Amino acid sequence: MCELQPKLVAWLDHELPPDQAAEVENHLQACKECRALRDRYQQVSTSFEAYRDALLTAKTCRSVPRWVPALSGALLAITATVLLVAFHRSRIEPPRPVVTPTATRATAAPVKALASESVLPKAIHRRRALPPLPVPATKWQPAETAIQITIPAETMFAPGAIPEGMNFIAELSIGPDGSVERLRLRP
Amino acid sequence: MSDDSVPLALPFLRFAAGSSEVTALYCELRKPLLRYLVCLGLSSDEAQDVVQDSFVSLQHHLAAGGTQDNIRGWLFRVAHNQARNRQTSYHRRFGEPLDSETDFVAAGATPENAVLEKEKFRRLRAAIGLLADSERECLLLRAEGLRYREIGDVLGLATSTVADTVERAIKKLAEKCNV
Repeated sequence: MCELQPKLVAWLDHELPPDQAAEVENHLQACKECRALRDRYQQVSTSFEAYRDALLTAKTCRSVPRWVPALSGALLAITATVLLVAFHRSRIEPPRPVVTPTATRATAAPVKALASESVLPKAIHRRRALPPLPVPATKWQPAETAIQITIPAETMFAPGAIPEGMNFIAELSIGPDGSVERLRLRP
Repeated sequence: MSDDSVPLALPFLRFAAGSSEVTALYCELRKPLLRYLVCLGLSSDEAQDVVQDSFVSLQHHLAAGGTQDNIRGWLFRVAHNQARNRQTSYHRRFGEPLDSETDFVAAGATPENAVLEKEKFRRLRAAIGLLADSERECLLLRAEGLRYREIGDVLGLATSTVADTVERAIKKLAEKCNV
């Protein structure tokens, strides 16, 4: 082994003083073994630098961890499943009552008609609220007498007070709550 | 690999006005610093953070009137220490550089060349794994173009120690792997 071999790497790195560098260069011209070793060291250095560059490229290009695509795919599948189940459930609804126009007209029940209308989706969205309807100031009055009762006069008056065979008609006005609001007797 | 292949935003706003020297230094040294940190075992994102922090520290250092001798060695030392701190704080093994799980895929290489390249790097990686930490770090800094004196400043070693360490590491690699 040449005594200058330990200085080969420093000579390659230009770290030797000028006199020692000249000594190594002179020795290299004469020593085949040291020339081969110099080439070998150069080759290793070049490979090491290429390895660093390849490592940097690989790490920079693979900035996204490998588990990210797998996790994203799993989350996507779960989301799709949840949406599918939710959509399927929204399609299973209780059967909507079928209200034909004739049936509505026959029942003529305003409460039922309103109830059936409330089930239907609103097609028109009003942007402004309508003003409240005016409330009539007068109390509700029945348009006609609801009940007429014929009462024999003998049951209401003392015998002889009124002519025999005379009858009275009682007209009863029934209020909204079912109570008698007015009673009128006429012969 | 071109410089453009390493995305790294330049923290212009953090630098004081008129610090064109620092900006030029950033453009020159960002890739070597990034490569050194990645080879030490940091991820790409971590390495970019460390590079940015190192240049912010440099700006503060210069603003405080710090010495401007061997700025390159100063930057590598700051980045090296920050990398050590990060790896210590995350309880990582610092001796896990040159990532063993990395797949090297050469762009534009034929399948045969890609296989040969991969095999060459596999042998080299195995040989690098046998080096001591100081030997590995000396080789990495040497490959970045630092002088032995600058390497000694970064790692806290004497210049003669660096020379011996580099020579020993190169000899080991030459013996262990046939590349």
